[in-house]
Amino acid sequence: MDNQNTAPKIMKETKNKIVVDFERAPLKERLKAKYGTSNFARKILVSFFRFILLLGLSYVILFPFFSKISTSFMSPMDFLQSDVKLIPKYPTLDQYKYLVTENGYFRALLNTFLLSTATAVIQMLVCAFVGYGFAKFKFKGNKIIFGLVLLSMIVPDQILVSSLVQKFMYPSILGISLTPLTQALGLTQGFYNTYVPIFFLSLTGLAFKNGLFIFIMRQFYRGIPDELEESSYVDGYGPIKTFFLIILPLSVPMLVTVFLLAFSWQWTDIFYTNTFLNAADHALLTGSKFWQIMPSSLKELADETGGDMSPYIIAVKNTSALMIVAPLLIMYLFMQRYLIQGIAQSGFGGM
Amino acid sequence: MDSAKVTDAPVVKKRKTASLTAKKARVGWVFVLPFIIGLIILYIGVIIESIEYSFATYTTIPAVKGGGYSLTWVGLENYANILPKTVNTETGETFIEMMFTGFGSQIIEVVAIILLSLFLAVILNQKMIGRAAFRAIFFLPVVVGAGIIAQIDFSNALLESMSSTEAISTGAVQTSAMSAMVDAMDISMLFQNLGFGSELVEVVTTLVGNIYDIVNRAGVQMLIFLAGLQSISPSIYESCQMEGATAWEMFWKITLPMISPMILANAVYTVIDSFTAESNNVMTYILSLGSSVSPSGQQAAAAWSYFIVVIVMLVLAYLILGRVIYYDRRNDS
Repeated sequence: MDNQNTAPKIMKETKNKIVVDFERAPLKERLKAKYGTSNFARKILVSFFRFILLLGLSYVILFPFFSKISTSFMSPMDFLQSDVKLIPKYPTLDQYKYLVTENGYFRALLNTFLLSTATAVIQMLVCAFVGYGFAKFKFKGNKIIFGLVLLSMIVPDQILVSSLVQKFMYPSILGISLTPLTQALGLTQGFYNTYVPIFFLSLTGLAFKNGLFIFIMRQFYRGIPDELEESSYVDGYGPIKTFFLIILPLSVPMLVTVFLLAFSWQWTDIFYTNTFLNAADHALLTGSKFWQIMPSSLKELADETGGDMSPYIIAVKNTSALMIVAPLLIMYLFMQRYLIQGIAQSGFGGM
Repeated sequence: MDSAKVTDAPVVKKRKTASLTAKKARVGWVFVLPFIIGLIILYIGVIIESIEYSFATYTTIPAVKGGGYSLTWVGLENYANILPKTVNTETGETFIEMMFTGFGSQIIEVVAIILLSLFLAVILNQKMIGRAAFRAIFFLPVVVGAGIIAQIDFSNALLESMSSTEAISTGAVQTSAMSAMVDAMDISMLFQNLGFGSELVEVVTTLVGNIYDIVNRAGVQMLIFLAGLQSISPSIYESCQMEGATAWEMFWKITLPMISPMILANAVYTVIDSFTAESNNVMTYILSLGSSVSPSGQQAAAAWSYFIVVIVMLVLAYLILGRVIYYDRRNDS
């Protein structure tokens, strides 16, 4: 009898399908047990406030972008009208137009893109290479040299700025001056005002925050089991070949993370490019030629309108900032997934 | 050396293993070679030379006489000149005063950045609606917040404070500095009515006024904390739940000890980051002392005395945090 009661009730039966209904508490009571408790109410409340908080902070982060976007479409007239807040009354593309034509946006964009890509790829590979050496090989002085990596992280290059420049202006290797060589190449100021310093720093893992990248890569490689390399050695690969053919493909998420960081930090960098390069000779997005000079046509427009035009000048600067980060933002949209994944895998937890 | 005493067979074996480790060590040197080349050719020389500059005067030798530059030793003269130098003609603030007024506000900001990033990392690690979107937004400053954007935003804030309030009331939304968005006056009134001390109120209002700056600079720290949080084994939390621990207890007894090494790493990172930020007026002043092409001894002296301040702060952070850090010795090598 009992068995018959608990057995499922057959609702509908076809050739290869059967719908059954178990005897259970009515829907109303089930819902009440699930959603009617104080625990559930608290959970809702917590997630509600959490959502509001995150939304507020997101607004704080995103608002400058919104305001930059809206002012970038404004004409000088909009800045004189007190009722214009975020939506321009006289929308125009003048700012974009003249920043592109008169300040050479696309040329600067191309140069910055090439420079950032090249340095980011170099930094990614070099930091992975060096980090792997620190992680997997025990040799005398390993700890001391790693300490020097940390030192290069702690001593900011801003403090060393003048002697860094002098080193590249009067280059020498172990006391042997290279000045005759640079003069033969037609350079009057050593390697100053060329891209050599930036690439040299990238190649030797001394560029901006490369200590951090070496550190991240080392932590990651320490988490990779040694058996992997051993089996590769048994198969007849040498350590270098193992690194490039086995280890490097394994570490793609980390490499993407390092690439993303190196790329975007080089892209927005003002310190190194302005220190090693004479801004007037190089068309870069971060060079003063692009964003510090107001296009003359826009100046004329502002003068025609009259009134206090300092907000308009700031707006033009903001528009150029927007144009600088726009490609980065697009790249970030596609790659941000890897950033979080990569850092999560980095083994920072096992620090 | 002792192998002479041992019988033949082990000698062969021993020599073989020794050569293998030696070989491995040599390969290790090959891997770190790029960094070592940089150290020898450039970095060590740069550091030594930079210290030399601070004790010397720099003169360029004209190209006719062979080019290059020479340094004349002047002892502590550069330091004696720069430290009491008046930085701000209006207030009569000297360089050493500027360093230390900056020092105080930096400490508060560093603490605020670390607390905020930890808090946000804990929240972003929970399951909820729109988590991926929030993560993407909060890590956005890591990619675009530094360098040029900080510079442009910073100069905007300066311009804005210089320009009359009339310009703001004309409706131009040029304000990227959030101080205009969060009206600090109202908050300070509120707190004063609640009966807090005026110093605390000032600290809180400056922090709230700088919220844009602080959130923008907390990106990398958030990433590191998030990585740390994800590496904590969920089984620890499960067993805690079985024992009846509340979420609050779990945070203090599990989460915080487990990520304490990350707190130290973040403290070091934040201190260095905030001391060299584009918006830091001490750093701006130091860079303005000399152009990069012709270095000045005073600039080097200012830079190194500032760096000593940074090192003192790092040691402080290490001493304070080193006491409370818990290292999970599970995979220590």
